[in-house]
Amino acid sequence: MLEIRSARKVFYAGQADEKVALDNLDLTLQTGEFGVVIGSNGAGKSTMLNAISGALPLDSGQILINGDDVTNTPVHTRATRIARVFQDPMLGTAASMTVAENMLLAELRSTKRTLARGLNAKRLADYKERLSALGLGLENRLETKVELLSGGQRQSLSLIMAVGGSPDLLLLDEHTAALDPRTADLVMQATVRAVDNLKLTTLMVTHNMQHAVDYGHRVIMLDAGRVKLEIGGAEKANVTVAKLVEHFAVKTDAMMLGA
Amino acid sequence: MEFLSSTFTSYMALVPVTLSQSLILAFVVMGIMIPFRTLHFPDLTSEGAYPLGGCVCGVLIAAGVNPALAIVAALLCGFLAGCCTALIHLRFRIHTLLAGILMMTMLYSINLRIMGKSNLSIFGSDSVYNWAPFVTPGFPASKIIIAGIIGAGVFLALNWFFKTEKGTALRAVGSNPAMAEAQGISVWVSTIVGVGLASAFSATSGALMVQSQGFADVNMGLGILINGLAALMIGEAVVGKQSVFRQLLAPFVGAIIYYQLVSLCLAAGMPPPDLKLATGLFVLAMLALPSLKRGRGAGGTPAREKFRE
Repeated sequence: MLEIRSARKVFYAGQADEKVALDNLDLTLQTGEFGVVIGSNGAGKSTMLNAISGALPLDSGQILINGDDVTNTPVHTRATRIARVFQDPMLGTAASMTVAENMLLAELRSTKRTLARGLNAKRLADYKERLSALGLGLENRLETKVELLSGGQRQSLSLIMAVGGSPDLLLLDEHTAALDPRTADLVMQATVRAVDNLKLTTLMVTHNMQHAVDYGHRVIMLDAGRVKLEIGGAEKANVTVAKLVEHFAVKTDAMMLGA
Repeated sequence: MEFLSSTFTSYMALVPVTLSQSLILAFVVMGIMIPFRTLHFPDLTSEGAYPLGGCVCGVLIAAGVNPALAIVAALLCGFLAGCCTALIHLRFRIHTLLAGILMMTMLYSINLRIMGKSNLSIFGSDSVYNWAPFVTPGFPASKIIIAGIIGAGVFLALNWFFKTEKGTALRAVGSNPAMAEAQGISVWVSTIVGVGLASAFSATSGALMVQSQGFADVNMGLGILINGLAALMIGEAVVGKQSVFRQLLAPFVGAIIYYQLVSLCLAAGMPPPDLKLATGLFVLAMLALPSLKRGRGAGGTPAREKFRE
């Protein structure tokens, strides 16, 4: 379970271009729940994800994972419980290392690394099996350096790496935005399969309204650093793209009127 | 003909001495390779850590300390120096190269303080080379054996370490720090340990060199970094760097070839003062090669931060 309690983050505080990125944001995600976060640029989506992952310290407020306060723990400590797939395929993998080594790094995310040999036969067989589920042929390229893979293959690898070991929380940061439509679809399908099978508590940021309609248990719309709208349950099942876009439109009109 | 044969004779006479030297200096090359290649932390500390190791070892041996113990002490001091460079970079966000220059400049004074003077002779003192089996002490063969044994040990140890879970994590920090952090690896700890380890090798090299030449000098590190870089590039050109094994072998192969080349140049009559210029031009040529192949003006003016490592 993820709880964000009155999280506040202000950039350039006290200066002319002060920007309130998170304005006492409250958000709770139940264990096993799949939340989809939408919102216009500058609504605070990225700030929120960075605050959850620990990359950005909060000015005030708390972040709890399964009831434990992690507000003041660094990124690498939180990583034992949180897995993240970035928008940029380059960010989520170590390019100069092999596919198998990247899988190993992900497997060791939540355990203590020892001086035992990293890639043993048992692990390699396990990686082969897990990668074959993607159907991209990555299972035969374990010794290939990741820099030689395409963006889609890298992102698929990132996803397999992230869902392995069943993290307490999975953060998906527009993870299909940089991919072509067909690959984006493949990665999205793989995401949904993994999230469903493993019952992962997931928070996905997306600009793709169709994805927001099709996937997840709840749509969370952010605006100016707070939750503007939440659609869950039966209402979520009946929501349409047009209806979601409407909520953006209101805001845009308001901006054009100078309000 | 006369010139060729005399060059060849004087070169051949130097081969054993040069080989012993290059095996000792291979540790500096290792100390340069690890930050530059494995950690992507271009580091200049070796220029100060190498004489630091020499000075610490020299002073201890002059005081009658066991030569092996003196090397261990030098190694630890080098490790600390490397840790400081990494800390300066991480804590104050100072560019790695500048952090290294700061450290090496400060180390110069520290080295002088340690020795109390700029030059210290330990000629005739016990050294680790006297322990070489089967050979008469004092000859290059004993140095080749001892430095070779330590070098082989270091190579095997690193080749094993970089494939362990911890070693893989360390390499990940060099490959993609943001990703490493997201996979639960502390970038701080890895960088500090990694750069510390590298400087420890540089210091070890200095300590071995002091025992080999019988004196320590505060200026013994001058230009060692460019020599090491040249050696590293030759090694990588010969054995490649596609795998951990090859990347670790490159410093040793490179050091051996590089110092033989230098010895050949000297035997052919090149004035020693020109050596640094020649080495510098060589490194420049190696770095410029990819850009020359690509042709001029491609891609416009590069950003200042785009250092070629």
